Amino acid sequence: MEIASHITLAALGQQVLVGLSRTTILFIVSSGLSLILGVLRIPNISHGSLYMIGAFFTYSVASFVGGSAGFWVALVLAPIAVGLLSLLVERGIFCHLYEREHLMLLLFTFSLMLVLGDLVKLTYGSDYRSLAAPVMLQGSFSLGNLPFPRYNAFLLLVGPLVAFGLWFLTNKTKIGKIARAAAVDREMVAAMGINVSWVFAFVFCIGCLLAGLGGALVAPTQNITQGMDHAIVMECFLIVIIGGLGNMWGALLGALIFGLTSSIGILVWPQFAIVFPYVAVVIVLLLRPKGLLKSTW
Amino acid sequence: MREKIVSPRGLILAGVILVVLAFWPALATRYYTYLVALILVTGLLASSLNMVLGFGGMYQFNHAVFYGAGAYAAALLTVRGGLNPWWGYLLGPLVAAALSLVMGIICVRLSKLYFGMLQISLGSLVWAIVFRWYSFTGGDDGMHGVPVPGLIGSIDGAYWFTLIVTVVSLAVMYLIVNSPFGRVFQGIRDNPERAEAVGVNVMRHQLIGLVIAGFFGGVAGTLFVTVEGSVFPDMMFWTLSLEILIMCLLGGWFTFLGPMLGAAIIVILRTVVGIYTDYWTLVLGIILMLLIFFLPDGVLGYFTALFGRKRAGGEES
Amino acid sequence: MKGKLWLILALTAALGLALGGAAMAKTIKIGMVDCYSGPPSTYTNDVRDAFKLYIKKVNAKGGVWGNKFEVLTRDSKFKVDLGLAAAKELIMREGVSALVGTINSGLALAISDLAQRENIPFFATFSKSAKISGAKGHRYVFQITENTAMIGKAAAAGLAKKPYIKYWIAGDDYEYGHAVADGVWQNLKKLKPEVKLLGQSWWKVGEPDFTPYITAILAAKPDAVIVATGGRDCVPFLKAAQATGFNKKVPFYMHTATELATLRPVGKGAPEGVMGTSNYHFYYPDSAANKAFAKEFQDAYGRIPTVGALYGYITAQLITGAYQKAKTMKGDKFVDAVEGMKVNTPVGTVELRAYDHQALLPMYLGTTKKSDKYDFLVADGIIDITPAEAAPDVNEIKKARGK
Repeated sequence: MEIASHITLAALGQQVLVGLSRTTILFIVSSGLSLILGVLRIPNISHGSLYMIGAFFTYSVASFVGGSAGFWVALVLAPIAVGLLSLLVERGIFCHLYEREHLMLLLFTFSLMLVLGDLVKLTYGSDYRSLAAPVMLQGSFSLGNLPFPRYNAFLLLVGPLVAFGLWFLTNKTKIGKIARAAAVDREMVAAMGINVSWVFAFVFCIGCLLAGLGGALVAPTQNITQGMDHAIVMECFLIVIIGGLGNMWGALLGALIFGLTSSIGILVWPQFAIVFPYVAVVIVLLLRPKGLLKSTW
Repeated sequence: MREKIVSPRGLILAGVILVVLAFWPALATRYYTYLVALILVTGLLASSLNMVLGFGGMYQFNHAVFYGAGAYAAALLTVRGGLNPWWGYLLGPLVAAALSLVMGIICVRLSKLYFGMLQISLGSLVWAIVFRWYSFTGGDDGMHGVPVPGLIGSIDGAYWFTLIVTVVSLAVMYLIVNSPFGRVFQGIRDNPERAEAVGVNVMRHQLIGLVIAGFFGGVAGTLFVTVEGSVFPDMMFWTLSLEILIMCLLGGWFTFLGPMLGAAIIVILRTVVGIYTDYWTLVLGIILMLLIFFLPDGVLGYFTALFGRKRAGGEES
Repeated sequence: MKGKLWLILALTAALGLALGGAAMAKTIKIGMVDCYSGPPSTYTNDVRDAFKLYIKKVNAKGGVWGNKFEVLTRDSKFKVDLGLAAAKELIMREGVSALVGTINSGLALAISDLAQRENIPFFATFSKSAKISGAKGHRYVFQITENTAMIGKAAAAGLAKKPYIKYWIAGDDYEYGHAVADGVWQNLKKLKPEVKLLGQSWWKVGEPDFTPYITAILAAKPDAVIVATGGRDCVPFLKAAQATGFNKKVPFYMHTATELATLRPVGKGAPEGVMGTSNYHFYYPDSAANKAFAKEFQDAYGRIPTVGALYGYITAQLITGAYQKAKTMKGDKFVDAVEGMKVNTPVGTVELRAYDHQALLPMYLGTTKKSDKYDFLVADGIIDITPAEAAPDVNEIKKARGK
């Protein structure tokens, strides 16, 4: 196996950009997971299911509306629908379980993943679904002689927007500040006369909405199918862990490490690209056992 | 905190179950003999995880790796090494224990979720190697028709062997839990800082616990080879690890036989419900949710409380 | 406390007796184990449905020798342990006379081993591992689908006629991907010694985004690419190929690229000019038999049959036909009857080769093209590859089995 004889600077640069657009999806989904982990302390295994449901909702809405506009409408509506669904689950079931052990919550979200997975199968059946990107985002443009897909470029724009939105929400709004305070000390927040339960509901809803948004954004790039939930949830957990539990910027950093190691790994040593992100996680945790950034735990 | 119970009533019940199990192949058809053997293997696997999960308070999230390591070691020694299959039963668990030691040394200084996730990463590396190394491990196809000693080759033979090994393993684990080491181990679970303060080497104890759990996970793996004659990478994948974890929590992770019961429930559920519908995970999910709601200490934990037996040990300090 | 365990065991036993007693003697049970949930089910549902369709027809005519067939299905969830346990349940508890399935190679090999021990015929419908009828073949296993060895031979025969020299290989990091890639490459080198391999990329099954792989391949500037990916990954790969304009820059071959199951979800957005091979198209061969079959399937299920439907249909034809001939489902007599059997299928007469138990299906090499008639792409300029060109030589199989 020849290694790296074909790597040019342009190819490397492009691979980094492609890796960054993959990072966007990973960041959006894991930031939701991280938010829930940080504030509610729930290791939500069903997060991947909500991502999958987001993608399916996007497909439904986009095909219902039709045309290029369909995707844009779906991009707004599908995450909101996922958020509302999660609010229902939170108010209906979750809010009664907060005092339980972490492992029991983990078990509960695992059961939720099983149930949601089969519900999707009941609703949508087994055929693959596929959604075309809106016309203005189809195809690719040339970047240093190599093609760069327009949709990936779009993702590169969305990533920072979501990051800014999240920063604004948690640092500049009242509810965000309360949520951050509740993450550190729930008793204190409760003592101030704030209904912590509703703060939790809000955070859970936002976290799941982000999973839905990730699903909506990924929908045009791959086939929408059962099993999407399993694939992403483990990656997101690892990202959150190496970034530092509950730290949103940690999720960004973790997603960067994950996205870039796998995409550069493909260029450098394609036959073992699969292993690269796992090795990165092991190295990070050996050097910084509590994750790269400060954890709220 | 909570500990398992030794009571005359419990011992009598265990005796009755043992007698039934001992005559099971005479009572049941071939299929149910096989099914109970499968439950025993899975139960032993869950019990071995519970050594560190319930009694050690460690989030061992990738226990299936040791199950797979034991099974693969036994199968590879026979198929590629050309050794007598009996060697596999001896060496398989030792390989699993050795792997557990190596992974333990790397993970043990982390706690809770971090420990679990680092373990998942390392486990995934092991899985990826097994999955990729086509020429040696058979890759994702796995290996099938692994030779099993003639004495235990039949379904009944495999059943007897599984029963004996499982009972002996459980007895050994029970003795370990109740040994001075086991008590210190549970003390660490309840209050690691205090244990450290009174001069206990926390990490060394945890490491020993991990090796023991890995060893018996490997024993379960070799038993799986006996019962099924196959090994495949699914046996090491993290989803299976999660299922074993669920069995412990479901049966009751602060009881000694809870994981066994949890394994029985899951294996029976998926077999029986699976006969009638493709949507058995939906049924399983709903049943799990109900159990979590109403039986937070697991099934066995619930019945333990119901029969009025106070949890022995009580609060530490 | 432990009483509950006992209770559960007793319940299991009671349930077993109740269900076991209900089994009727007059029906012939056939067990199907396959993955009916998750991504692979888009292929396997057609196998099951077409199988049932044919069995229903046979039963409606009064069965064979007055006996009717009953089909029992179990979902393996693409897990070897679940599928193996289900197969044992079907054999030991339900008493099925034959097993049919599965798309998962690991599980197919495991069930094959079980079938050999239990002397129950097993028809592997969708797993493409060449080991099933090759190195690990035995008296009780039959393979219906084309296998990786046949794909390799067929694709190499097609590619050798093209002018490409510098190749890149990319595929699923899975037994299937490696076997297809190896098969194509070994055969291609034999047919055209001057070909050169620039490099390879392998991705995990279920890879969410192929763009990084494609850009890496483009950076190496090969003449053509062999893409050895199957199942669910075909669709996202085609999408990424379309988004990057990959197919316009470098021609590529992908085994299942022309299959309906791959092309239907992508609709008109699929890339044109991709070379692919398949055992079946509902529009090709343009024969009366095929049209009748496609219509029959569509009337029954409201959808167009994909390649899996052909596999299911042929399997049912073979099983009922062999029973007709042997008058028994048991052991050697049934196997003797099915060995070398020829059936009239929607794609013409198909023989189940006696030596290796491999169904000799024709293969169609085509190129994706937009169509006015359908809202998905179809295979164009189809070249028939006969079983004689694609099937592995019996001597090769003898060698693989170490004889």
